[in-house]
Amino acid sequence: MRFFLFVGLCSGLVAAVASLPAMTAQGPSSRIFVNVVLVQLNVAVTDHNGSYITGLRPENFAVSEDKIPEKIASFEEGGAPEGSIRDAEMAKKSVAAPAGSAADGGAQTAAQATTQASEEGSGIASSPPPVSRLAGASVYVLFDTSDYMYRGFVFAQDAIGGFVRSMEEANKIAFYSYSRNLSRATPLTTDRTAVMQGVRSTVAGDDAALYNCLLLTVRDAAQLRGRKAIVVFSNGPDNASSVPPEDVEELAQSTGTIIYIISTRLAHDEPVSSAVFERMSKGTGGKAYFAKDWRDESTAFASIREDLAHLYTISYYPKLNPNRGWRTISVKLVGKELEKYRVRTRDGYRLQEQVPATTQAADGEAAAADPH
Amino acid sequence: MKLPRRPWTPIPAFLFCLSVCIPAHAWSSGGTGPDGDVAHGAGSAAMQMVSIPGPLRSFMRMAGISQEATPEEMLPLLARNVSLHGYQVGSETEYLVLLRRYVQFAQDLRQLADAQNAIHADNCEQAAKLVEVLGYQFDPACGEKNAYLVTANAERAFLAIDSGFPITGLEDALQKHTPFAYSFPATQVPVLFRSQDWTSASIWRHKGDMTLVDVMLHDQELDRLYWALSKNDEETRLVLRQSRGLKSLLPLAPALEFYGSQVSVRAGRVLVPGGPDTEKGWEELVGASPNSPGEFIEHMCARDHGWLAAYFDALSRVSREQQVHLTSGSRLKQLYDVYRRAGNGFSATRGVFPRNADLLVLFNRMQWQPDGSPYIPGSLNEWKEILSQNYSPKLVRDWVRDARSWDSPEQLLMSLVASSCFTSDDSPLQIYLTLSAIDHARGPEGRLSEATVRLLAARFAEFHSWYLVFSEFPALNDTSVTQFLNAAESVSGISSPAMRSNAMGALQGNIGLWEILARQQQIPEAKMNASWQGVVQPFVGVSASVPLFEATRASLRSTLGAASGEANLSQDQIIELLAGPAQQSFAGRRTHDEIAQRIRSVLDDQRLVSLDTLFGLYDGLDQMAHGSGEKDPLIPLAASLREFEMPRAIFSPGEKAAWAPAIYTSRHTELQVRTDLTRVIQSPGSPAQLEAARGQLTPFLRDTLVGLNYAYYEPPGAQVLHNNPLFVRSHDFSGTSILGYGQVWDTPTLVGIGVTAGGGAYLIGSLANLPYALATAEEDFIAPENVQALIWQAAGPALLVDAIEPRWWDVSPAELHAAALYQRMGEELLMDATGNAELRGRVTEVLSDLMMPRRLEMTEQALQRPADAAAFMPQITPAEKFYLAAEYRRLYPEQAATWGAASKELDDVARSNPSEVSVARLSKDFGVPHPTLEQTNACAIVNVKPLPAFSGEDYGLVGESWESSNLYWARLADEMGYPAVSLNLLIPELSRHMIAKIFATDIEDWPAILRAMEQTGDEFRKGGIHLAAASTIAQH
Repeated sequence: MRFFLFVGLCSGLVAAVASLPAMTAQGPSSRIFVNVVLVQLNVAVTDHNGSYITGLRPENFAVSEDKIPEKIASFEEGGAPEGSIRDAEMAKKSVAAPAGSAADGGAQTAAQATTQASEEGSGIASSPPPVSRLAGASVYVLFDTSDYMYRGFVFAQDAIGGFVRSMEEANKIAFYSYSRNLSRATPLTTDRTAVMQGVRSTVAGDDAALYNCLLLTVRDAAQLRGRKAIVVFSNGPDNASSVPPEDVEELAQSTGTIIYIISTRLAHDEPVSSAVFERMSKGTGGKAYFAKDWRDESTAFASIREDLAHLYTISYYPKLNPNRGWRTISVKLVGKELEKYRVRTRDGYRLQEQVPATTQAADGEAAAADPH
Repeated sequence: MKLPRRPWTPIPAFLFCLSVCIPAHAWSSGGTGPDGDVAHGAGSAAMQMVSIPGPLRSFMRMAGISQEATPEEMLPLLARNVSLHGYQVGSETEYLVLLRRYVQFAQDLRQLADAQNAIHADNCEQAAKLVEVLGYQFDPACGEKNAYLVTANAERAFLAIDSGFPITGLEDALQKHTPFAYSFPATQVPVLFRSQDWTSASIWRHKGDMTLVDVMLHDQELDRLYWALSKNDEETRLVLRQSRGLKSLLPLAPALEFYGSQVSVRAGRVLVPGGPDTEKGWEELVGASPNSPGEFIEHMCARDHGWLAAYFDALSRVSREQQVHLTSGSRLKQLYDVYRRAGNGFSATRGVFPRNADLLVLFNRMQWQPDGSPYIPGSLNEWKEILSQNYSPKLVRDWVRDARSWDSPEQLLMSLVASSCFTSDDSPLQIYLTLSAIDHARGPEGRLSEATVRLLAARFAEFHSWYLVFSEFPALNDTSVTQFLNAAESVSGISSPAMRSNAMGALQGNIGLWEILARQQQIPEAKMNASWQGVVQPFVGVSASVPLFEATRASLRSTLGAASGEANLSQDQIIELLAGPAQQSFAGRRTHDEIAQRIRSVLDDQRLVSLDTLFGLYDGLDQMAHGSGEKDPLIPLAASLREFEMPRAIFSPGEKAAWAPAIYTSRHTELQVRTDLTRVIQSPGSPAQLEAARGQLTPFLRDTLVGLNYAYYEPPGAQVLHNNPLFVRSHDFSGTSILGYGQVWDTPTLVGIGVTAGGGAYLIGSLANLPYALATAEEDFIAPENVQALIWQAAGPALLVDAIEPRWWDVSPAELHAAALYQRMGEELLMDATGNAELRGRVTEVLSDLMMPRRLEMTEQALQRPADAAAFMPQITPAEKFYLAAEYRRLYPEQAATWGAASKELDDVARSNPSEVSVARLSKDFGVPHPTLEQTNACAIVNVKPLPAFSGEDYGLVGESWESSNLYWARLADEMGYPAVSLNLLIPELSRHMIAKIFATDIEDWPAILRAMEQTGDEFRKGGIHLAAASTIAQH
């Protein structure tokens, strides 16, 4: 018997079981497909300047999967507690509260359709986002300690340190580093001092197996609920991975894990990695940054922090869909006045086989020790 | 500026030391005096100490030394790392530059420490100098809100971080206005001889004070000598120093490093291989008497560019029995004479690895006739032909030019010794080793015929990797050998690359399944030949897709029929069969189910088409071609072929071509994606079209059979197998993806690593030794537990293979218990030896078979007092304990039960279950494969001393000489109450944890494996390692 689950969805919410018999030379197949749990999307909405649009409501979004319209089951903005549609409807009435009220520290609503101004005109807020918007997210920082990193090693640590501190009130952070192998320096924790100790304990050396180690990190993150993101800090091309970036991207997409990548090299320095970073991050709903110096690195971290704070979390139960391969997700804004805004989220997912418990334990010790 | 690469060199992290720090090590002196030499404390009056600046853990991080190394190991490992990693083509590497900078950095920090060696910073003012020395600054200013340390001087800040200074602790203390204190003592470590012996021997000169550490950071030659002598026992070292002084030994450092560790001087005499009877012969070879040990060692190392030392070393490493054979009569000198001549013109000490690996393997494997002459597979005449036909270097060719006139096996032995100087996969030496291993396994009654020897030798270059099947399964007769070669040659001759690739994959996939079932004893010995021939014979003459499909199916049926009595099994039934023999107990069933589930999981993740679908489609199409059969049931089957999708592309075809031009194009997989049989079924097509459609199923069949092999040998923690769905399909059997690749029947190689646009790594070559190749592909997904530790690539795959290739379905409770009892009896003997001089002598005599001289000396010293023996016990490997008990029982059977409870219980168990607890049985069940050392994948404990790292094909010897893991896991399972069958689940997972814990400094750091194994065992005992299936079994 074989089970397929949508990994990365809210477990325990199995809605329906559909048996899809397939005739074989030996008779009916024993395959059973579990269909499904819940698909969760993290959605960023920005204007043409990259500024975040807040205050949108469930009815502002149209979600489809393989062109099948889906009904939104739950909706959440920023770090607000996730609620059902019913909760959202209740909340809608109180949205009359001026968008951009104290609770969101000045973020602005679609109704007002104004945008946040950044210091540098790039849509990056000048001050850390409010507590509530960052709460609930689990963030993995994956730091490149391969021998490419020597020149900027300590500056990179400073930038990561700044990012970790700015996430003071966010939910949990893990700090991993990689060269040829992954080091789970600090498992997911709310203890920022422990994270900083992890950051400062890294030592440089050896080859860079970014995609291997990113894969392991995605698998750790896959066991978590809620918003989860990986922030990769890379300083050069991968030269030691055996898995290709395509597989890592698919796993991240299928498990609802956002990938942000900060590269310390400018895009034109290394076109292969640059292409991967841009496409992989985009495909998972994240962003790629190319920083020429440590100031750019700090700015990139600030941008990621903003992005995480302004994500809408939308979930739905997929309607019956015979497609067992790649399923394309489309999220659009409803209404003419919203068409001008840009929507960024993962563009699909693939059915994932349920990982046997022992294997899961084997490769996810860090998360297993502190799963939620 | 780039950091040096630190392969093998796990720069260890240390746990953060918060405000109040504990002195790093109890043996640290506290260093109130100057950073010079001081005398060691009580009990070690003879041992001098030298000062390492700063805490040892920081120095170890910077020097690339494992945090688990002992103080005694510090200077030897420093010397080793600096000599090996500190220089490159005459220039100093970044590793050395940083290490020197760190020493100065540590001295600067020491200036800030108080009389108690603590660095204090109670407030911002006090911290200012410290922060500056560390290369940091506060931003905003110290004392302001949210002030954090940021980099001010990147070079110093890097040293602070890399050496593990507690930056966060300092930052935290100042933010909270709490005192910061950090212990920063100079650390005392022991030195060999006296410090001035070394400093005066060095050619490096420096104005002002010069410590030994300074010298070591500047004198590569001296480092090499220091490292070399640290591997000798004390008496040998002293003899060397006193002979002509360290300075005169410097030129001999390379020879001493590579080949000197086996040299041992006892009671003023060099212990020579072969024993006292050979001393005269050695004296003539060396030009000095073993009774003049200093002169003897110096002459030996200086002679013939190091070849004599290499010869001595190889002989010293084999068993005493082999030594006697190899040194008897004139053989000692004759063999060396040809060895020396073959090596003439080259140096045995060039490069970074010893060069006597093949000689060592030959000496280890050499077999003898009852009359004492060398054993020859086939006949001398055959070997004359083999030697005259095989390519070999000119020097060897010259030697064998007169082979036709040979009349003695001795001449063959000499030519093999000469051949050992030149590493080659298909040299006469390799042919000899492989064929003699097959003959050895077969026994006197089943030797290879001359014709088969000739055939195997003639095809050796191409198919040698597969010959290990015949040494592992000696029941396979000459006909089986011949038919294999016929089939292999036949498929190799197929002209179409795609067809050839499919045929090779299908044949090898089926052979692989046969091997699995034969190894699990599901194919009875009586059926081995018939079933084997049924596996290979159908492939002879096949050259088209449909016949190939049918041949593959017939081949599979032969295996299944022999293993289960039923040739037509569903895929699920085949998986059940592969998962192991049917089990009755709860533990057995649970274990079996878990393994079956894992196989299914890999097949699913590789998105392979079920055999049921393939055979159902094939038969249905056949029936349609013959005018019968229904098309409707075939439609969903054909549709399922199309379920497989390529991963979503990140790169365009143009980008892939530009960025990964040399990488496999996945043509095989893309053809499958385009395969659509629904049209020909629905039309329906003509008989010819239906025939062609059946042929299109052949690549799918190949992949599923290959996938079953991959899935069976899945390493623990595998990721590629579960995340790259093209991995199995991409296996390049015909070598088309690399221009000029010729080793298609060899052990597969992992290619495409680090090629971002290449679509992922894949294997090229055959399925021979697939477990090792898969372990190589997956080992780097094990996350080391120690921060800067890296997976040990020299030993990791072998350790994984030891855990995944053997299975433990046939181990009885008595046998499992005996595995524990042998080890415990070994411990009893060691402890009892502390109060019994006679026993101590016997114990050390037995252990000298396995231990290097230095380690044997340490053991002897530890056995002087019970407390020392108890403390030393964790450093004795399970294989040594097992061997000690087994040998003692063999040599002194009358005392077998007298050394303690385990000895007595073992004796009782052995009496009641003699066959189940025999050493041979335990060796087979808890041993490991030795494909390089023994030319067989059959498991055994061969009792070999730890082998050094060699280059090339002999790299695997490092891992093969570690034989303790499975013995240890067996004891652990027995003591924790797990049934033997659960070893099938426990051993792979525990081995993975063990590999993650290895914290080694260098590639010969065997104690690191031992420590990691014991740490894993302790953690498992305490419940720190959770294995779901094993827990279920334990709770039942």
